[in-house]
Amino acid sequence: MNFELSQDHKVLQDAVRDFVNKEIKPIAAQIDEEHHIPDALVAKMGEMGFLGSYLPEEYGGAGMDMLSYAIVIEEVSKACGSSGVLISAHTSLACGPIDTFGTEEQKKKWLPDLNTGRKIGCILLTEPDAGSDAGAITTTYRKEGNEYIVNGSKIFITNGGYLGTGVLFATSDKTLKHKGVSAFIIDLKTPGVSILKNENKMGIRGTYTTAFALDDVRIPAENLLGQEGKGFNIAMDTLNGGRVGIASQALGIAEGAFERALAYSKERKQFGKTISELQAIQFKLADMYARIETSKLITYKAAWMKDAHLNYMVESALCKMLASETATYVTKEAIQIHGGYGFICDYEVERMYRDAKITEIYEGTNEVQRVVISKALLG
Amino acid sequence: MKILVCIKQVPDMESRFKPAADGLWFEETDLAWRMNEYDEYAVEQAVQLKEQLGSEPELTILSIGPDRVVEAIKKALAMGADKAAHIQDSASHHKDPWQIASIIAAYAKDNGFDLILTGMQSQDRGSAQVGVLVAELLGLSCATTLIGFSYDDGIVSAKRELEGGLKGLVTLQLPALVTCQLGLNVPRYPTLPNIMKAKKKEIQAIPVATLLSEQASAPTTGFYPPARKGGGIVLEGDVADLAQKLVAILKEKTTVVR
Ligand SMILES: Cc1cc2nc3c(=O)[nH]c(=O)nc-3n(C[C@H](O)[C@H](O)[C@H](O)COP(=O)(O)OP(=O)(O)OC[C@H]3O[C@@H](n4cnc5c(N)ncnc54)[C@H](O)[C@@H]3O)c2cc1C
Repeated sequence: MNFELSQDHKVLQDAVRDFVNKEIKPIAAQIDEEHHIPDALVAKMGEMGFLGSYLPEEYGGAGMDMLSYAIVIEEVSKACGSSGVLISAHTSLACGPIDTFGTEEQKKKWLPDLNTGRKIGCILLTEPDAGSDAGAITTTYRKEGNEYIVNGSKIFITNGGYLGTGVLFATSDKTLKHKGVSAFIIDLKTPGVSILKNENKMGIRGTYTTAFALDDVRIPAENLLGQEGKGFNIAMDTLNGGRVGIASQALGIAEGAFERALAYSKERKQFGKTISELQAIQFKLADMYARIETSKLITYKAAWMKDAHLNYMVESALCKMLASETATYVTKEAIQIHGGYGFICDYEVERMYRDAKITEIYEGTNEVQRVVISKALLG
Repeated sequence: MKILVCIKQVPDMESRFKPAADGLWFEETDLAWRMNEYDEYAVEQAVQLKEQLGSEPELTILSIGPDRVVEAIKKALAMGADKAAHIQDSASHHKDPWQIASIIAAYAKDNGFDLILTGMQSQDRGSAQVGVLVAELLGLSCATTLIGFSYDDGIVSAKRELEGGLKGLVTLQLPALVTCQLGLNVPRYPTLPNIMKAKKKEIQAIPVATLLSEQASAPTTGFYPPARKGGGIVLEGDVADLAQKLVAILKEKTTVVR
């Protein structure tokens, strides 16, 4: 057993860190304030290979492994949680299922633009009345000649506002519940797709969270992803991978806040000494570090298991659950260590606190992760 | 054309340094390592020259040190170098600039390099000697502290940084060696696809013993952190008294008041 990153992973980590420190960190506050990640930054992340890290080289990906993907999102999220989830939702939730379930023609057609960032990907699963209960979606499709006609609505779609490439879930008959669900690849510029709104939200404000109406949207039959009626399985498999991405995002946010809290504790003086000399603060730092380290271990392990083609469903649920709770805990304590300054926007930990919360909710709430884990234990 | 870039892996300068038990260098455990910043400019300049000449030049990277320096080598390969020589030496940190330069010269002498680039200095030892010593040992024309570089038809035109904001222009006939200052160019980031491509590039491992024949000419005999500063002086008393005390101290300890 070896817990050290390989030389190649260290080279990667160093390269990503360098990019993040120069290109993302200086504008992270601006991204939050302006509710927008500059297009130029998205393009640069595409050039760097951040948007297709673990996808095959033959389709424009970088051909790295899942651990590399986790490292990229972790490093990016240390500075900017918005940019971290842009990468995660794009790669795991759009590129991932097309690569895993797509035909050769589909991969050739859709992946090169996605993997290089020329198009930004998203997954369209959640609906107003179907969140945790994803099998209850009511967006319907019917086949007409060589096309599927889709009607319904989708909400909370990360990256939706880019109108790039989506992986869309719809049902042929909602009474069939999850057995009626199929998956499709959709060009979001197709007529009939309209943006109802981009949500205003608490955190990860640089990302789009988009609500769509789908009115008689015509999708070519060749865009069916996998088999008809197997969409629910595709969604579940996709979310397994996605959770490693979200765990990495959460881990990065926690590490970013920890770095700041540690540095601040050594600078801030009260009662004639730095607050880092107070045991109350020392214990906070120890608790924060302990949770970060355990979250990192399980996140890297889940990534490693996917690379080793092992069943990592439980580990992916575990890492998403633990890392997200680490992120909310650590960012909250980071503010506490900063005292009143932590509550002031200039100190950035308040942004990290806001960014952290969503990681407990999306890609399966942590309650749902506990369902997944306990089912596996008892089943 | 054959180009050699010599790079060093150094600790992240934000690390906390502790003297090693032998009292001759710092303790290496728990440090994060990076490519010497000056060397990144040297690699970038070489890659730009390669691009200018339509990929014709063969660009080799050399680094001396233990296994971990392969990380810096791989970064340089991912930035666009073609191949590398890793001179394996677990005790490179105890070698003085003369020995390091001799090792590089011993490697380079039979390889017919037309141009060698190094950083101006290393961030950790900071002797700024290795580049010029290599040039001397190989009989190359040499310019240091480059902040501008261009090449045309066998001639390197170099802009050098002098003291007080002054600049100097020199031209060098190949074969030549230049040492690179910060700001010479904008080093590129190794992209993920290029990191993958770098995995397939050749890294030749050469034990240092096969290249080293020189003794140290300036061995290190001590390494220590600066003495901890005292707590400062707190003056007390009324204003006139304070002013007099302050002036007295300034006269005694500084050249501000004479
Ligand atoms: C910013 C943001 C981005 C998002 N991005 C995407 C995206 O890109 N694509 C997409 O399809 N969706 C996306 N979502 C949707 C997200 O995945 C859902 O919000 C999430 O799955 C929860 O669904 P819900 O909001 O309907 O909550 P509900 O399912 O209504 O849950 C409400 C509460 O009930 C609990 N609960 C529900 N069912 C159970 C159960 N069986 N056992 C125990 N507790 C339960 C939940 O844990 C939660 O506490 C995003 C959401 C947000 C806010």
